[in-house]
Amino acid sequence: MFHVTKAFGNDAPTLVDINLDIQKGEFVFLTGPSGAGKTTLLKLVFLAERATRGQVLVSGRNVARLRESGIPYLRRNIGVVFQDFKLLPNRSVAENVGFALDVIGTPRDIVRQKALKILKRVGLDHKANVLPPKLSGGEQQRVVIARALVNDPAILLADEPTGNLDPALTVEIMDLLCDVNARGTTVVVATHDASLIERYQKRTLRLERGTLVSEDRGAKAALLMVQR
Amino acid sequence: MIARASYFTRTALGGMWRDPFVHVVAIASLAIALFGFGLARIAGAQIDGLVSALGGEVELTVYLKDGTSPEDVAKLEAALQQRTGGATKVVSPAEALGRLSEQLGTQGQALTELGANPLPWSVEVMLPAQARDAESLKALSQTLRALTFVDAVDYGADALERLAALSKGLRLASVVAFAVVFLTTIVVVAATLQLAIYARREEIEIQKLVGATNRFVRAPFLLEGMVQGVLSALLAGAALWALAVFGAPQAAKVVAFLALPSGSKLVTLRLLLELLALGVAMGLSGSVVAVRRFLRS
Repeated sequence: MFHVTKAFGNDAPTLVDINLDIQKGEFVFLTGPSGAGKTTLLKLVFLAERATRGQVLVSGRNVARLRESGIPYLRRNIGVVFQDFKLLPNRSVAENVGFALDVIGTPRDIVRQKALKILKRVGLDHKANVLPPKLSGGEQQRVVIARALVNDPAILLADEPTGNLDPALTVEIMDLLCDVNARGTTVVVATHDASLIERYQKRTLRLERGTLVSEDRGAKAALLMVQR
Repeated sequence: MIARASYFTRTALGGMWRDPFVHVVAIASLAIALFGFGLARIAGAQIDGLVSALGGEVELTVYLKDGTSPEDVAKLEAALQQRTGGATKVVSPAEALGRLSEQLGTQGQALTELGANPLPWSVEVMLPAQARDAESLKALSQTLRALTFVDAVDYGADALERLAALSKGLRLASVVAFAVVFLTTIVVVAATLQLAIYARREEIEIQKLVGATNRFVRAPFLLEGMVQGVLSALLAGAALWALAVFGAPQAAKVVAFLALPSGSKLVTLRLLLELLALGVAMGLSGSVVAVRRFLRS
């Protein structure tokens, strides 16, 4: 991101002159208090919102200027874990996961096959035919992650993925995201949970009132960089 | 392609199944409009038939001056046959007097007291349906009047012009009425479909967030519009058929001169196909309007 500013109407900007660079295959925490602009920053990447000023480069392409008709194709390469899950309550777990494949015209049997495979990876293949309201919060979160990953995206954006979970489930979800990252997917996690950042020691970007105030590469990340 | 078509069909039918009330309202509105259209078409066809039957007697009579040569009469007959396509008949003064006497009945006796036959020679043309146009008959009579041996021309101008005006007026009224019904129905269908779309807004939002194009989002709703059109056309067709089969004999009893044909002849295959095409067009138009408005917002 280069000099990115986002303002809604005449209100004070939500994001002000953001400059940051996330490399392919990285795991990054985006932190800051509520209202700091974390969710808005993620939305600028998958174009749920457009930057008012500046450039947002995804795989070298400035998506801030992408035409409306190009947005679906960008989103097919970005998996998003939404804070409010966005699961359809009247569709089964497998159908929810397969949704991302349905929209690109994948044949029904392959959709089912891929959905079951990814559900197995998140440990929920036995709940494939269950409706989401029958699942626990942690299970629903894993379904959302499975849906985000079923397309094998290059980037995974997770907005407060552990926000509503107890500590045991938080670890479970975070381990899953680390596993996804280990397989080559770039992962950006927005969270205000300091303990999470402490525990996983990843590169951390801190936002406050729409401004990027600090960057901590994390002990483990720094160590890895030295080893490289 | 097949996978998408199958997905759209499943989504469309699933949507209709999950939210039946909205779709029933849309189908009922469409069916009522189509039923009205069908009734108007049937009534129009009957009125056309009636106008045609009333004009069945249309005849053009050319009265000739005394002393017209038989060659001129023969030429006139040939020209009239060619121009109108109708059969001609030369009526002598004696034959004309005989007819008049017959028409007058007992009072016709008075005609025998006339010294000389005052009636002229004339040529009668039985006009076929395609030659009954008031405008062209007016032009023909003017041409005939210009001939030196023609005394007068009569073709019931007033009656023909009135029938033509009536037929034209009815057609215009039915076009205007249909345009109003057509637009109103599209608005109603669009409004009901918008409710269906609103009920599925969450699903559409997620579809778009995981990479669905607008075309992909639109397709199942357009399909729903088409299915509604087909179902409403079937309903309207069935209702018209029932009305024709059970209602037409009752109507014929009350208004004897209508002489309505049997039910199956009133509701023709052509009319059913028109209902189907119109139903699909209206359902599709309604869903196009509704989805466009939703995607814009």
